[in-house]
Amino acid sequence: MPIIPADLVHSGGMPSAAELEAKLLGGETLLANTPDHLIEVVDVLNSYGEVLDAYSTNLIFQAERQLLLPFPLFKYLDGDNSPAKIWRHLNHDRINFEYAEYCMKAMLWHGTGGLDAYLDSEPFAASCAAIISKKTRRDPLLALLHPLFPGFLIELIRAAATTHALGQFWRVMSDLFLDLARAEADGRVASIDDVVEFIKAGLVAAAANPITYGVEVAGEHLWVLPPKAGLTFLVDVAVPYVEAVFLRGMPFLGTVSFNAQAHQISPDQAQFAYGALYADPLPTMGSGIPPSLLMQDMYRHLPERLHSWYLQRTRGEGDVRVKICMSFQKSMFCVTNAAIRGTFPHPLGSTDPQARSANRAYAAAWASRLAVARTDCLAVKPPVA
Amino acid sequence: MLSILLLIPFAGVLLLALWPGRPAEGRMRTVTLLVLGLQMAWSLVVLARFDPGNSAMQLQESFPWVDILGLEYKLGVDGLSLPLVLINGALTLVAGICTRDIDKRPRIYFALLLVISGAVNGAFLAENLLLFFLFYELELIPLWCLIAVWGGVNRAYASTKFLIFTAASGMLILGAFLGLALYTGTVDFSLTPVTSERLAMGSQLVLLGALLIGFGIKVPLFPFHNWLPDAHTQASTPVSVLLAGVLLKLGTYGLLRFCMGLFPEAWALLAPGLAIWAAVSVLFGSLAAIAQTDMKRMVAFSSVGHMGYILLAAAAVTPVSILGAVFQMVSHGLISALLFLLVGIVYRKTGTRDLTVLHGLLNPERGLPFTGTLMIVGVMASAGMPGMAGFISEFMVFRGSISAYPVATLLSMVGSGLTAVYFLLLVNRAFFGRLAVTPLIDPVAHGRLDVNLAAVAPRETIPAMALAVAVFAIGMLPYGLGKLSEAATTAMVQLPALAAALQTGGLG
Repeated sequence: MPIIPADLVHSGGMPSAAELEAKLLGGETLLANTPDHLIEVVDVLNSYGEVLDAYSTNLIFQAERQLLLPFPLFKYLDGDNSPAKIWRHLNHDRINFEYAEYCMKAMLWHGTGGLDAYLDSEPFAASCAAIISKKTRRDPLLALLHPLFPGFLIELIRAAATTHALGQFWRVMSDLFLDLARAEADGRVASIDDVVEFIKAGLVAAAANPITYGVEVAGEHLWVLPPKAGLTFLVDVAVPYVEAVFLRGMPFLGTVSFNAQAHQISPDQAQFAYGALYADPLPTMGSGIPPSLLMQDMYRHLPERLHSWYLQRTRGEGDVRVKICMSFQKSMFCVTNAAIRGTFPHPLGSTDPQARSANRAYAAAWASRLAVARTDCLAVKPPVA
Repeated sequence: MLSILLLIPFAGVLLLALWPGRPAEGRMRTVTLLVLGLQMAWSLVVLARFDPGNSAMQLQESFPWVDILGLEYKLGVDGLSLPLVLINGALTLVAGICTRDIDKRPRIYFALLLVISGAVNGAFLAENLLLFFLFYELELIPLWCLIAVWGGVNRAYASTKFLIFTAASGMLILGAFLGLALYTGTVDFSLTPVTSERLAMGSQLVLLGALLIGFGIKVPLFPFHNWLPDAHTQASTPVSVLLAGVLLKLGTYGLLRFCMGLFPEAWALLAPGLAIWAAVSVLFGSLAAIAQTDMKRMVAFSSVGHMGYILLAAAAVTPVSILGAVFQMVSHGLISALLFLLVGIVYRKTGTRDLTVLHGLLNPERGLPFTGTLMIVGVMASAGMPGMAGFISEFMVFRGSISAYPVATLLSMVGSGLTAVYFLLLVNRAFFGRLAVTPLIDPVAHGRLDVNLAAVAPRETIPAMALAVAVFAIGMLPYGLGKLSEAATTAMVQLPALAAALQTGGLG
């Protein structure tokens, strides 16, 4: 057995489900409270906030202005089709909106929560029929496609609805993360617990925000997700988003076939564990690894403080996207932590045995899922030169 | 003109030895690189003066040294030796460049490097058997020192084994040369005139047998290969580059120049057996490489296999096969040097060469992606992918040999296929998959390890990049090397052809 130098390979260790449950019930943060963690989480969320701002704007633009467009060649240009913008896009001087679409597809595919239920409802079918009827009147290609494949355009509208809902969700999260950076800068946030509380407060404040989506077709405003559907931010979009993107995720294209042959992919979609909390940061920037796009986007907006922090560690600029991914994973544990803290069935300080039992069951359910996530990033790590 | 190729490295040795004070390693290295650069430049001057259309020895220099012993200082260069002189110049320079962090006695280390380079030049240029032998022996002790002093943990074992094997090789070669003088009753040790025709076939076979084993050890051919994997495993990267790229070629050069050149009749008689020996060596080297888990041992066993092609080509004795043998010597020199350089980088960064431990080194940001890319280029070249040096060499060897020895050639082609097998195993194990430097026992734990390998600086890959470019250059434009050697290699086949014609009872 060869001797492997200890400084080459590091294992963070994994807390057990019981330890995680105890932390959640005790109001402790999952991520260890250290000054380094605070810099990583706040600054990476600051960068993420900038990226989400662009993602949100583009997703809403796509859903509202590119609906049922047969060839949406300019969907990433946000309506600015100038030669300069097209050149920047082709020259890859741009945000990778493909990653935003990847997240939307994950939400649409896993299909959990109120939004998904509404997309299969009668009122939604009626809205689709109205939109398709108007669209096919003006577009011969759609008029040909619809009778041949009656489910196709409806599925495209479902995708557009999910796209818009995700755009609205990210609008809120973008503002929240940018506010967090400002709060840390002026001293209102000084620990990981403050970060979790700040995010929790933001999520709770936005919980009841309505999620609606309407489009203009031939000068007429038509609802896809009408206000009367009663869809709200937290329950119908945020929770399904966490389920689809943080927890379940999708096995990456290219690895699917190999993993399926090795019986490594569960036949039960609900058991999938490929989300942000389970992802391996090391292959970042490898071929076919979609989060690489997000890391590249965040790299464009990296605050100087975090950039300098990265430059002092491991390969400096050489592996900066891997380090962004590691920090991002830590920040996503904080967001999950905030979401769990904000959705306990009863206050954590409650003395009522029934309330305590319900809280314990809720914490245990989360802990069992998180116990197999990449919790090795949560502990305090020795500095690596 | 040719003496300067000896003078430069040996003067460099003197310069290093007499350098006043205790100069730093960096200064010794700079001086060595300047000397080696000068030697390479002079090799190119020789190339410019060389007439490729002339098959005879050129730029000859001679003066009597010890007449009574038949030792004459006589140098010359032809299309067989010139490519090897160029390879020696280039690879010694590469070895000097990739030498870093010599922790002890840098003055002696670099001096030994220059001694080896000068001795190898001498051996390739010598036109006198005893002079060849002197230079052949001269590189042994420096190489032994380089392994024994600057080698790995088991360097004492590996270096002693190397010394015993190669000393036996030297004794056999000297014995054969002296035997030639004894049987012919002359002390003329010059390469020409060939005096062996005066010998009875039995005597020729005995002397040729001794030379075959002597050079077979150096090449090395199965079953005399045993020293090579250990020597490579314990040698430092620059020494492995020299050993695989240059020193093994002394053996193959000896096979072509002395075994085939001095004993054409006996060679023609033994050729069918030699072809089978070549195929066995190719298959053994390839199969043994498949079984290795140490990257360096795998590359070392691949050398055993790839050197077998040269014996096959020599046994076939056709113009195409002999030219293919020259190509194979050059391309194996470049490719094996490239592979050893890259294995050296992997070892320096990870501390291991164990294929059960290394995984995913192609990882773009945390692994060694450029090293991995060059490794893929190297293994493709070694496996004979078209467009690279390995292809044109193997193609010429097989094309030139198949009509003479179809079975042995086909078996050797299987060995060529096996090259792809073991090198793809190497690439798949060490470079693909999830990055890790640990045994893959628990996949879950394995997938959670954070790996912090030091980055490879661009300057560390410059020598490997240069070799990769040379591999492509020879693969894409083989005409230059072919033109350089064709006249000489075609002339070499005339003598055995004559002998074979005589044996079959007629000349036409």
